[in-house]
Amino acid sequence: MQVKKGVVKVPLSVDERWDLIEKITKQTVEFGAYKHTLKDAIAELTVKPLTGIPVAIAVLYGFWSFFCDFAGTLFTDGFMVKIFDEHWLPWLQSVFPGGLGDPLYALMVDAGHLENGVLVPSDNCFEAFGVLTSGLFVPFGVVLWAVLAFYLVFAFLEDIGYLPRLAVLVDTVLHKIGLHGYAIVPTFLSLGCNVPGVMATRVLETRKQRFLMITLLGIFIPCGAQIGIMQDLVPELMGWIFLTLAIGYLGFGYILNKIVPGESPEIIMDVPPYRMPALRNIARKLWIRTSRFLLVAVPFVLLGCLIVGLMYLTGAMDWLASVLGPLLMVWFGVPKEAVAPLIAGFLRKDLAVGVLGGLMERGVMTHFQVFTSVVLLSIYFPCLATFALMLKEENWKEFLGSLASLVVVVFVYGGLIHLVGLMLGVA
Amino acid sequence: MGHPNVGKSVFFNRLTGAKVFESNYPGTTVDFMKGWMRLGGEDVELIDVPGTFSLEPKDKAEEVAVKMLTENKDSVVVCVLDASKVERGLYLALEIIERGYPVVVALNMWDVAEDKNIRIDVEKLERILGVPVVPTTAISGEGFKELVSKLKEARPAKIEEIIERAGAGKEGGGESAAVSG
Repeated sequence: MQVKKGVVKVPLSVDERWDLIEKITKQTVEFGAYKHTLKDAIAELTVKPLTGIPVAIAVLYGFWSFFCDFAGTLFTDGFMVKIFDEHWLPWLQSVFPGGLGDPLYALMVDAGHLENGVLVPSDNCFEAFGVLTSGLFVPFGVVLWAVLAFYLVFAFLEDIGYLPRLAVLVDTVLHKIGLHGYAIVPTFLSLGCNVPGVMATRVLETRKQRFLMITLLGIFIPCGAQIGIMQDLVPELMGWIFLTLAIGYLGFGYILNKIVPGESPEIIMDVPPYRMPALRNIARKLWIRTSRFLLVAVPFVLLGCLIVGLMYLTGAMDWLASVLGPLLMVWFGVPKEAVAPLIAGFLRKDLAVGVLGGLMERGVMTHFQVFTSVVLLSIYFPCLATFALMLKEENWKEFLGSLASLVVVVFVYGGLIHLVGLMLGVA
Repeated sequence: MGHPNVGKSVFFNRLTGAKVFESNYPGTTVDFMKGWMRLGGEDVELIDVPGTFSLEPKDKAEEVAVKMLTENKDSVVVCVLDASKVERGLYLALEIIERGYPVVVALNMWDVAEDKNIRIDVEKLERILGVPVVPTTAISGEGFKELVSKLKEARPAKIEEIIERAGAGKEGGGESAAVSG
């Protein structure tokens, strides 16, 4: 490069800048012999498909086992269910004024349910559905532990640097649906909470990629709170539920990619070196995320409990059930009572699954209907917080597109699940 | 400012005591965050921005970063570089210098660079760039005291002079005479 004083044009061209950088680094940076370390060897093993896929399966399986054992078995079943069902609920039932049949008692403690025409009290906190019973049991008895367990493991994966490696591994598959391997990051974040998941789509390059990703996240990815309570309610169905959602995610992603105009360019992604996670950082993230959950989710769950309770009390729920009943029964194969969890789902998905749990405990639904309802709950409408964020992050056209995709997916996929159930003779 | 995953958020948290998420993957930060730090007896506002490869944004997170830079015309820019990938980081740093911002360069992940046997002549780099250059390891906090003290020395640099100095030191006196002539 010929440099003459006074003829330098600012800004430099890309090439000029690189020339200059080369000159600078030639004089200042010295690359010594590089030793291949154990860390590099591990890093390679986790990225190459032959070894990387088994490692990924092991990591995810470990994640899941920890999630179930720590949150489900240890805390929820081991302590919380006992505390809530054996002490808290009976105690409230004995001291709260009014008693069974009283409206305030029904809203706050236990609505009870009809058995052979007689109103009987509930014996667990899923059924009772009062603000002080289910309203507290759902967030503190179940979801809090799920959120804690999820974010504890997730923070480790984040800080070690495993996520970008997982991204490299799934790159080929995700390309088929117009996304890049990096999409695994928003997807994984969404498994904790859809809100940061949608935020994270900002690193995707084109509007098309962002639209696809936000839509798929909003529809198919259940959040940690929801997964936690599903796992507590129907652990035996979790495999099928995840499989159904994954097929939907990939299948509808493939179709959306074909019909949405725009480009899905390559993104060149950096895979950072593995690092030792700092405990301080993990603790801090765990604290922020958990307290955020408590601050945002608990009021919504309590409010949702109140709204659902009021709708039952005023007869609004029965009216909605009779109006929407035929559609639910004929198209999706679920009983008209399923309308209650679907209403609750507008506010919080974990609450919705809680409502469903109450119905299940009372034996209103068959196993397959519970399965269908849980899947429908996941896909039919993102929770209010996610919905609001989608409005902010997408433009109007994209937002309406997401909504339209959602409606189509719910009807097509929901109907399809019913159809498969009918053909297999389980519906 | 700096590339994704060079540790900007770690800097921000250390300097302001704020609680921005830090992770080991590119794209942890997708929005800006403001915080305050004490500097020589006065409160100074510090902004954490998403990582960007250049000042021509390629995605929404990078747009946020570039927007914050252009909106804060009279701010001092801490350019955070990955010391094991200096070339790439310098590209962004030069772009920012060209726009006339006073800059301090932090060569972060100094420990990684050492592990990789990469040696950087900090003094010479400082002399060529004409702005303070500080090696740091943000995670453990090494180099932070120096970085904070150098914030006051941040100054704009003329790209013409950088080119000249880069050329001058290249291969002894003969060459430099030819260049300046």
